Amino acid sequence: MSTLARTLCLVAGLQLGALQALAAPVPAGYSAAGLYNLANSYARAGKPGMAVLNYERARLLSPNDPDVEANLQFVRSSAHLPAETRSTFDRVAGVASPSLLAWIGMAGLIVVGACVLAGRLPARHRHLRRAGILLGVCMAGLTVCNGIALWPKLHAGVVIVAATPVRVSPVPMGDPLFTLPEGETVKLAAEHEGFTLIRTRNGRAGWVSKANIAAIAP
Amino acid sequence: MSSSQFRSRCLFATLLMSLLGATALADDPLVYATIQPAQIYLGDSAQLTITNLGDGTTPITLPSVSGLKFEIVARTHEIQIINGSTLPSSSTVMRVTPQIAGIFTIPAVTPKSQPLVLQVNAAPSGAYVPRADTRAAQPPPILSGGPLPKGVRLTDDGSAYVRLSIPKREVYIGESIPVEIEVGMRSGFVSSLNGLPKLAGDNFTLNNLSHQPERNEKLINGEPFVLFTWRSILSVVKPGTFSLSAEAPMTVKIRTRSKRDALMDDRFGDPFFQNLFGTTIPKDVDVTSPPQELKVMELPAEGRPADFHGAIGTFNIISDISPVKADVGDPMTLRLRITGSGSFDRVDSAMLEHVDQWKTYPPKSSFNTSDPIGFSGMKTFEQPVIASKPGAQTLPALSFSYFDPNTRRYETARSTPLNVAISPSLADSTLTAGQVAANAAASGALKSPVGLRPDHVGDEASTPSLTPLYLRPKFLAIPSFLVLAFAAGWVGVRRRRGGESKSIVQAIAQMEAAARAGNERLFFDSARGTLQRLFAAQWRLLPEEVTTAEINTRMGVDNEVHRLFELADESKYSGRAPDATDFVRWLRVVRDRLAGEKST
Repeated sequence: MSTLARTLCLVAGLQLGALQALAAPVPAGYSAAGLYNLANSYARAGKPGMAVLNYERARLLSPNDPDVEANLQFVRSSAHLPAETRSTFDRVAGVASPSLLAWIGMAGLIVVGACVLAGRLPARHRHLRRAGILLGVCMAGLTVCNGIALWPKLHAGVVIVAATPVRVSPVPMGDPLFTLPEGETVKLAAEHEGFTLIRTRNGRAGWVSKANIAAIAP
Repeated sequence: MSSSQFRSRCLFATLLMSLLGATALADDPLVYATIQPAQIYLGDSAQLTITNLGDGTTPITLPSVSGLKFEIVARTHEIQIINGSTLPSSSTVMRVTPQIAGIFTIPAVTPKSQPLVLQVNAAPSGAYVPRADTRAAQPPPILSGGPLPKGVRLTDDGSAYVRLSIPKREVYIGESIPVEIEVGMRSGFVSSLNGLPKLAGDNFTLNNLSHQPERNEKLINGEPFVLFTWRSILSVVKPGTFSLSAEAPMTVKIRTRSKRDALMDDRFGDPFFQNLFGTTIPKDVDVTSPPQELKVMELPAEGRPADFHGAIGTFNIISDISPVKADVGDPMTLRLRITGSGSFDRVDSAMLEHVDQWKTYPPKSSFNTSDPIGFSGMKTFEQPVIASKPGAQTLPALSFSYFDPNTRRYETARSTPLNVAISPSLADSTLTAGQVAANAAASGALKSPVGLRPDHVGDEASTPSLTPLYLRPKFLAIPSFLVLAFAAGWVGVRRRRGGESKSIVQAIAQMEAAARAGNERLFFDSARGTLQRLFAAQWRLLPEEVTTAEINTRMGVDNEVHRLFELADESKYSGRAPDATDFVRWLRVVRDRLAGEKST
């Protein structure tokens, strides 16, 4: 097959793929693999903001996926954004996915409650009861720690438009205070009529149009 | 013969002798120039006279000196017959007006003549020297003119006039009325203008009067006049019919010679000879325009639109929006441009306030005037708007109401509705990876970054929300229910134990009271009852089933509890009275049993 023919087939395939993709129904809900693949597509399309956003979302569902972690760091470094480090607490709290930890916490709660109520057991079962309470508390505590670790991420957003202006007030007039690079992760503090009050890592705050920023956990 | 007549004749004789002498000395035409006075103040003018004694064919070059302005005011041609010979002569009279102070050298008009020197001093303090408008800085060299315009009244000595031009119709309160004040000063007869012109009367206010009037020159009735024109906006504060006139303070030169003696001065139409012989004196006067009647009316209440803000004039509006394509949440700018003439300070618009699927913000306005007085121009209102939903959207038409003084009724101008295309915001995008890849491929933006790990393959269970399960309200209901259930169970157990403890405490108290009273039967009954309840709970029996035989079976006969049950039977059926010390012993037995039960 000649080069020209291969090129034509490639273009035709891409167009066909585009049509198929547009015609396919949008799946309801999120999955870590879907978000990861979507982020990869945005990264290839040269949209680091949307790529970082979807990697962060994938990491919410699958916190220990090495591919998500590696691609997120790659896109951030490609966009000249500062590297993000995870603390030991974050690693421990993110030992499992939030969904699994939810059920673990539930089980821990049940164990603690049962052991507390089993106060009329014979004396030889007292140690077993205390061990059960300790185990239940640990299981529930792990879930609580996961919630504490994820809380900032659940209230963070990603800048999805290049050179996003940050204004002093929630109106689209006047000169901006400063601009944010695409892909930057910021804390979402408040909302007011189409604008979001953000706070950067170095403590600078201002209002950004909602169209320029997307929450990690919508 | 009067002294003035003598001076005139001496001057004539001197001129005649010099002309004759010059003719005798040279065959070539004699051209000479004089400037009078040689020293003037800034704002005054000197007179440069170039006289050509000959056939008049010698070319004369108009001098050009930076900082001086030369204007030809008169040309004369004469033929004199002296001793039978004809002597033609021509004179060109120019007015020299300095633009700045200093000493100027005027070059010779012919190669054989001498240069002239003019010294210009700064104007004396207190005198107002109007600066010429830049547009009038290059007047035509030859003046045009005509008769005295209609409505203009010269002063008695013909040296100046003030003319006020206002609309020839009724005006309305709040209307901006353009007026024009023209001050005409005959060249050489007015020393200075001592201030800006003003209106006579208290019922009017004059706004935006320019400090740089338009300067012009004109021949009026054959006399050169310098004209200064101010344009301004007149406002009227109350209705009625008013007499309106303008006045300007100036210093004019009053002749001190009779008209007959001054004929020679007027021959050239300027004060050259008067200055030469000191025949004028300055005098401060206020020159007033003829009064004009102005009828002021109130705006009619009938037909006044609700959105009328007081704008009076003639206006047109046009609106646009940019960009015409945007994403949801992107700010767009809606503009309303109002052009025309009138009271632009009253031109106001609230723009759009509440529009479905749009977020609107307060507008801001700017005004670009097309004239120096702000009467006509364009006022632009800019309003940021943000679309909240995607799709083809239409912004409604804008309107602006004003009062047209020409048609004498309220008018409402309306713009056309604006159509814009709104795309979904990228932040709300629900595109799949395939769609993104396809779009990127279609736009040619597809890249292959080296270092990106490959896509994942395989289906995963999807979750409807990215919020962790333990933070979702539906899931939180389960642990909440569990906590409540455990709490309820714990409370129930606590209550049951509390009830048992209470009854035991009551039994102990009853035993102590019986011991104090020496009531053996009551004491042992209470002790046995307490132990029966205690052992019934332990052995899962009814209290009545805990008998001496049952104690004997479960605990043996060599037991204090067994002995206590026997004593209780004895006291109940035999009536034997034990020692008082026995009460303490058996009370301790019961308490020990209760304490042992609590510790388990």
